[in-house]
Amino acid sequence: MGEMKEEKTNNSKEIQEEGTIPGVITTTTSAIHNFLKKTKVQDIINWGRKNSLWFMVQPMGCCGVEMIATGCAHYDTDRFGIIPRNSPRQADVMIISGYVTKKYLPSLKRLWEQMPSPKWVIAMGDCSISGGPFYESYSTVQNIDEIFPIDVFIPGCPPRPEALLQGFVELQKKIKAKKDLGTEY
Amino acid sequence: MEEKLEPNEMIIHLGPQHPMQPGPFRLNLRLRGETVLGAEIELGFIHKGIEKILENKTYLQGITIVDRICYLVALVNEECFVGCTEKLLGIEPPARAKYIRVILEELTRIQSHLLGIGEFGEFIGFVSMFMYTIREREEILSLIDMVTGARVTHSYLKFGGVRDDLPAGFKEKAIPTLNKLKKAVDDFDQMFHTDRIYRERTVGVGVLTADVAKSLGVSGPVLRATGVPFDIRKNEPYLVYEDLDFKVCTETAGDCFARVQVRLNEIRESIYILEQCLDQIPNGPLFPENTPYGRRTPVMRVPAGEVFHRVEDPRGEMGMYMISDGSDKPYRLKVRGPYYPTLQALPPLIIGTTVADVAAISGSMDGCTSEADR
Amino acid sequence: MDVRKIIESLTGTFPEAISEAMVESEIRARAYVDKEKAREVCQYLKDSLQFDHLCSVCGVDYIKRNELEVVYHIASYDHPVVLTLKAALPRDNPEIESVVSVYWNANWYERETYELFGILFKNHPNLKPLVLPDDMLGEWPLRKDYKGFPNTTAKNLV
Repeated sequence: MGEMKEEKTNNSKEIQEEGTIPGVITTTTSAIHNFLKKTKVQDIINWGRKNSLWFMVQPMGCCGVEMIATGCAHYDTDRFGIIPRNSPRQADVMIISGYVTKKYLPSLKRLWEQMPSPKWVIAMGDCSISGGPFYESYSTVQNIDEIFPIDVFIPGCPPRPEALLQGFVELQKKIKAKKDLGTEY
Repeated sequence: MEEKLEPNEMIIHLGPQHPMQPGPFRLNLRLRGETVLGAEIELGFIHKGIEKILENKTYLQGITIVDRICYLVALVNEECFVGCTEKLLGIEPPARAKYIRVILEELTRIQSHLLGIGEFGEFIGFVSMFMYTIREREEILSLIDMVTGARVTHSYLKFGGVRDDLPAGFKEKAIPTLNKLKKAVDDFDQMFHTDRIYRERTVGVGVLTADVAKSLGVSGPVLRATGVPFDIRKNEPYLVYEDLDFKVCTETAGDCFARVQVRLNEIRESIYILEQCLDQIPNGPLFPENTPYGRRTPVMRVPAGEVFHRVEDPRGEMGMYMISDGSDKPYRLKVRGPYYPTLQALPPLIIGTTVADVAAISGSMDGCTSEADR
Repeated sequence: MDVRKIIESLTGTFPEAISEAMVESEIRARAYVDKEKAREVCQYLKDSLQFDHLCSVCGVDYIKRNELEVVYHIASYDHPVVLTLKAALPRDNPEIESVVSVYWNANWYERETYELFGILFKNHPNLKPLVLPDDMLGEWPLRKDYKGFPNTTAKNLV
């Protein structure tokens, strides 16, 4: 998106004056047309994907409440195109926001299967990364990264909403660097 | 749910992932048309075995674990755990530490109620309400953050006191925030009383009477909405609640509207308590003098014995039963969470209502599955 | 209601079933109850002494004494006294009468105690696992001799 941003800022002075919030793109129709003319299909696909990361609301633990807070008024992820969705069938990103138990793992796998491709998964918090404070519990499942293809790890117990936002930005970078035609998913 | 269905009946599963839920649990509903004939709850999707883990952690490590029983009210969980241990040790925190604890627990109560009201709004399709309350909640969280350095899990209380003093400028920041919150609560109140759709969704829905509520074993705002003034802060005062002036908020209707109203009024009472605390808070040490307990508690062994300590959680009565065998780890710790009996009382409440009301009734309980599962 | 009067009334009515009754403080009391009489004592507490609120039911494993204990915390909506009522059970065959017919909300507490400790509650309306998956039934994870704790399957343990 670097090219497009330059073009846009050259064209319109107001946007430049307002200052740029990282990750936020205000654009115009002509800028989009120019962008389409100059870029590969691949870049357009990635651009579309990375700017509408809808995540599934599925609070599981302490991180769940921070995830909800991130999606709400104060942190307002809507400005990044990151919108909380309640149904897995409308979601692109699954956030594993807590400890996965033996009882919940089958349901979680099914939720993951219900999500349409392309899809990504974020491991939020220490519990889903390494077990966190519950690494020795009798009812939790360890090594989540062997079960789900995790794209971004966000450490913290729980991570602050800012950290989750940063995780999304990292995910956007990852999507942007992708070199397939959408067939890999 | 195993019995055979009649031809015009069906079963729907709400959960474990469902927008109506405060955390994963499964609600199986048996329906005829839109009427609920039977309901059953399956728990344990986030059961993490906290009681077993606590038996294998030292008391000091335990504070970190009890934080995560219910992440919305971490400080109240800590108060219960630390209160148990203090009773066994026979120590009492000094006055300033007690006041700081009350301040933080009332802030916790406010933010928990704000989230509860907002979630309830979202469950009945009033999503703007969620945004309004979360906006206010962030202000309260930043106050807590200022003292403890964390938003959700704090590990702030220590045996015999608190980890740190209130930071400079806390009072100056707290008073305007609370004043702003007061205005917002008045707005919410007015909105609830005048919004016709909201009233139609809540008034007369999920009615509990005092006798039924008592027999179901519920506590907290769900019970107080039926007119029973049961509040551990009054019945069995801990910390400095005896010296503070506040009233137990009750309503008589016992429906969803009354439950939310109790929470709103409790936010007002909490603000009143906080104002008193900020005025009255004495200077002094944070830990009892002439004891080994302090910011860096040494390796401690707790005398053998057992204790059952109760505190008032935003959701009701929180209790912990601690048995010590004289070693540095608790022998057994039972956590009695307030949402567990409330969730158990959900099926009898929703049987006979319609599917649309299930979300309203379940939401008005202000849940936290993590604490029910532990 | 005075805590001493409660204990007196309890021991007076059930002289054989109640043992080691003691007053801990103004608002706490504790007593052992014979396991055969637990339900009856609960009924009496509820009907005559205003103990209409069951706080919790839990199990404790005393492995050195080879005993399991069921602990009832019974409180009231009217007075602040909490009575801790304990029943000792043999470890190899723990069975006790369910109190669901007295306190409705004992249902889940007993189910949980059953799956975590293996204590069988007779005449329970629906005694099946609550929080554990079905295949973990029979492991009794909260007993002190449980082998599955700590779990060492995490690959990055230090």
